[in-house]
Amino acid sequence: MKLLNRKRTKKRSPKVANRLGMLGGGMVLFLVVMAIGAPWFAPYDPTERVGLPFQPPSAAHLLGTNDVGQDLLSELIYGARVSLTVGIVAALVALVLGTSVGVLAGYYPKRLGRFLMQGVDVILILPFLPLLIILAAYLGRSLLNTIVVIGVLIWAGPSRIIRSQVLSLRSREYVLASRTMGAPDRWAIMRHVLPRTALLATGTFVRAVSTAILLEAALSFLGLGDPLQKSWGSILFWAQSRGAFLTPAWKWWVLPPGIMIMVASLGFALVAFAMEERINPRL
Amino acid sequence: MKKRLSIPILIACLTLVAAACSSESDPTTTTVTGGDPTTTLAGDPTTTTAATPAEPVVVRAAITGDEDTINPYTYISGFPGWNLLMMQYDTLMQLDADGVPQPWLADTISANGDLTEYTLTIVDNASWHDGTPLTVDDVKFSLDYFIEKATGRFSRDLRGVVAIAVSGDNGIVISLAAPNPAFDLVALADIPIIPRHIWEGIDDPGERAFDISTNVGSGPFMMTEYESDQFYRFVSNPDYFRGVPAVDELVVIVFADDAGALAAIRSGEVDVSFERVSPEQIALLDAQDPLDISQGPEFTTQMINFDASKAPFSDVVVRQAMSLAIDSQDIVDTVYLGAATVGSPGWVHPGKPAYNPAVEATFDPAAANALLEGAGYIDTDGDGIREFGGEPMSFDMITNSSDSLRLRIAELTAAMLGDVGIEITVVSVETATWEEAVWPGFDINNGRNYDIAVWGWSAPVQANTIRIADLVNSDPGIGFLNLTGFSNAEVDAISSQLLTEADPATSQQLIGDLQVLLADQVPFVLLAYPDGAYVYNSEVYADWEFIAGQGIVSKVSLLPASARP
Repeated sequence: MKLLNRKRTKKRSPKVANRLGMLGGGMVLFLVVMAIGAPWFAPYDPTERVGLPFQPPSAAHLLGTNDVGQDLLSELIYGARVSLTVGIVAALVALVLGTSVGVLAGYYPKRLGRFLMQGVDVILILPFLPLLIILAAYLGRSLLNTIVVIGVLIWAGPSRIIRSQVLSLRSREYVLASRTMGAPDRWAIMRHVLPRTALLATGTFVRAVSTAILLEAALSFLGLGDPLQKSWGSILFWAQSRGAFLTPAWKWWVLPPGIMIMVASLGFALVAFAMEERINPRL
Repeated sequence: MKKRLSIPILIACLTLVAAACSSESDPTTTTVTGGDPTTTLAGDPTTTTAATPAEPVVVRAAITGDEDTINPYTYISGFPGWNLLMMQYDTLMQLDADGVPQPWLADTISANGDLTEYTLTIVDNASWHDGTPLTVDDVKFSLDYFIEKATGRFSRDLRGVVAIAVSGDNGIVISLAAPNPAFDLVALADIPIIPRHIWEGIDDPGERAFDISTNVGSGPFMMTEYESDQFYRFVSNPDYFRGVPAVDELVVIVFADDAGALAAIRSGEVDVSFERVSPEQIALLDAQDPLDISQGPEFTTQMINFDASKAPFSDVVVRQAMSLAIDSQDIVDTVYLGAATVGSPGWVHPGKPAYNPAVEATFDPAAANALLEGAGYIDTDGDGIREFGGEPMSFDMITNSSDSLRLRIAELTAAMLGDVGIEITVVSVETATWEEAVWPGFDINNGRNYDIAVWGWSAPVQANTIRIADLVNSDPGIGFLNLTGFSNAEVDAISSQLLTEADPATSQQLIGDLQVLLADQVPFVLLAYPDGAYVYNSEVYADWEFIAGQGIVSKVSLLPASARP
C-alpha cells in the first residue's frame, strides 16, 4: 500500500507541480508588473480625491470611489506595491534570521543547537496572531514596523528546515575531511554548508513571502498597519469602518482587494510548492 | 512542516472571512429578549388606574461596549453610559427638547440677584425604587457625598459650592463662592440624586466592587438584570413621580462594534441603536422599513488643536493662515456627507442663542499664503515646504486610530495645509497615547507633547456657552481645558468676566465679542459639529425625543408626552 502510494505520487507530482508552479509564477509576474507599472496603469493618483465619496462603479471610476472620493481601482493597483514590498522584505528578514539560526543550530547541534531549537520551539508554540497583534499595536503604525513584526515572527519554521539540512551536511565526508585538515568552522560553513542550503532557503523564502502578504493584509485590515498607506488590507479596513460590508458596495470595495490578496498569496504559495517538489532533499 | 506554515495563512484568511461576515458576529443575540412579561410588578393596583397597555412595550436597544453596573461611580462612558445612568436616577432639573433645563425633582428653582445662591423646593411625590420616599435629605446627602467622594464629573460640577442647607420641609439652599449663571445646566441637570439609606454606609465608592443591588434610584426604570458584556434589563417604575413610562421594559444589548449593532437593527434583533449612526449609513437605513432615523444637531465638536505655546504656532499669523487654509465645508461634505454643521471659528454652535452671526468660517488659501509670505515664512529651498528659523514647517498631526472619521479628517486637513506649504504627516496612535500627548494626565498643568492634533469635545463642553472660558483662558485654574496653551490678555479678561456676569444682556454682549476675538486669534480650528443620527424601529416604539445637542438617549424619550418636561 505504501509502495503503491509512493509510486503514484512519483508519477504524478512533477507534472502537476510544474503546471501549478507556472500558474503561480504567472500570478506573481502579473503582480510584479502591476506594482512596477502602477503609475502608468492607475487612472488616478490614489491619494487624490478625484470624485464624490461612495460612488458605485462608472466609466470614470471602474471600481467606484471610497469614502472620501479616492479612486478604488487606483488604490488597488498601488496596493500591489505595499503588499509585495512587505511580503518580500519581511520574508527576507525571516530568511536571514531563520538561516542564521538554522545553520548555527545545525552545525553545533549539541549545546548551542539545543538552546536555539528550544527558542524556536517557544516561538512556534506561541499563539501566532494574538502575538502579532499585540506587537503591532505596541510598536505603533508604520510600514517599517509591520515588516519587522511579521519578519521576526515567521522565521522559526524556516530555521527548522534549514537546521535539518545542515545536520545532514555537517556529517558528509567532505565536511568531515576539511575539518580533519584543520579548516576553521567558519570556512566549512561558508564553503560547504551555506551553498548547499541556499536552494532550500530560497524555497522557504518564497513560501514566507506568501505568508507575509497575508499577514500584512490581516494587520492592515485590523487597523494595525498604517491606515493611510494604500495597501489591500487598508482598503478593506476602510471598507469595514465605513460600512461597505453591509451595503452593496462590497462588490466593488471588498471583493477586489480580497481577490488580489488571494492571488498574491496563492501565487507565491504555488511557486514555493513547485520549487519544493524539485529541491526538497530526500532526507 | 507544510502544515506549520499554512496555519498562519489559514488564520489570516479566517480573520478576513470572519470580518466579512461581521454582520453575523453579534455575540449576544439569542435568549436575551425572552419575552417574559416582566411588568408584573404593579404592586398595588390602585396607583395604575391609567390604562395599562395590553401588550407590554419592550424596547431592545444596542450599545457598543459594556458600561459596568451603571451606578454613579461605575458607569463608564459619558455617552451613552451617563444617559443609561439617568434612566434609573433623576436630576433636580431635566433638559427639555430644546436643551433648556426645566424643573424636575426640584419643582421650583430660584436664584438670588448675583447668582450665588440657588433655592430649590423638592417635589413631594417622588420615591425610591424600594418604596422609601425621596426627601430633601437625600438631595443634600447626594450633593455632599459627591463633593466628599470624588467622582470626576459630578464633583467637578459642584466646584464652587460652599454651603448646602436644608430649609423647611422640602427646601434646599445651595450657596456658591462666585456667581455661576450656568449652575442649573452644569450641575442641577447633570447630577443624579442618590438614596441616603443605601449610600450612607458606603465609605469608599471608588474602591468598592458594586453589583446591581445598590442601583436603587428614583428614575423611570429599574435595573433588574445585568450580564457583563452581554445585556442590561430595565423594567419600568410604575410609581414614577412624573407618570408611568410609555415603555414597559428596556433591554440594552452590548455589541462588540458598530457593524454588529447595525446588522442587528437591520435584521430586527434590536429596535433602536443608542450609538450614533455614521453618515454613510443614514440614507441606507432610512430607506429600509420599518426603520426610521431621528437626526438633529449635536454639540460634539471636531477640531484641529496645535500647541500655541511654542513656535511657530505661538505666532497668530500662522494660526490664522491655518484656519484660512482649511476648508471646513469640504470636510463636512466629504467626511460627514453633509450630516454636520460647519464649525464656527468663534466656538459657539450656530444653533445656540449665544451665537454671533458676524463670525463665519472663511476658506481662502490665497490669503493664507499671503499671510505666511508677509510674516516671513518663506520656502527658501524650493521644496514646497516653508521654513521658519531655518527649520522646515513639517509637523506630525496626531489622531486616534479607533476613530476612522477623525483619521479621514486628518488626511484631508493634511492635504489642505500641504497646499499652503505646511507639511503634515498623519500619525495614528492608540486612543490612550493620543490623549496622553494632547492632554497628559487629563491635567493641563502637565503641558503638551504634540504639534498638531485632531481633537474633539463631547456635547457638555459646548452645551454651556459660558464654559468657553474653560477652553481659552490662560489661567490653568479657569481654563482647565485649554489644551492648546493659548494665551491672550483680552480673551482672558472677557472670558473671566463672563464666568461671573449675572446680567444676561451683558453676558450675551460679552460672548458675542469673545467670538469675534476668538475668530481673529484662532486658539484652535473648529472644523465641524457632527449631527447626531439615531436609527429606530418605528413599529416597536416611535416616540423618541431628540434633545437638541444631546440626542435621543434619555428618559424623556421613554416617558409619555404628558410626563415630559
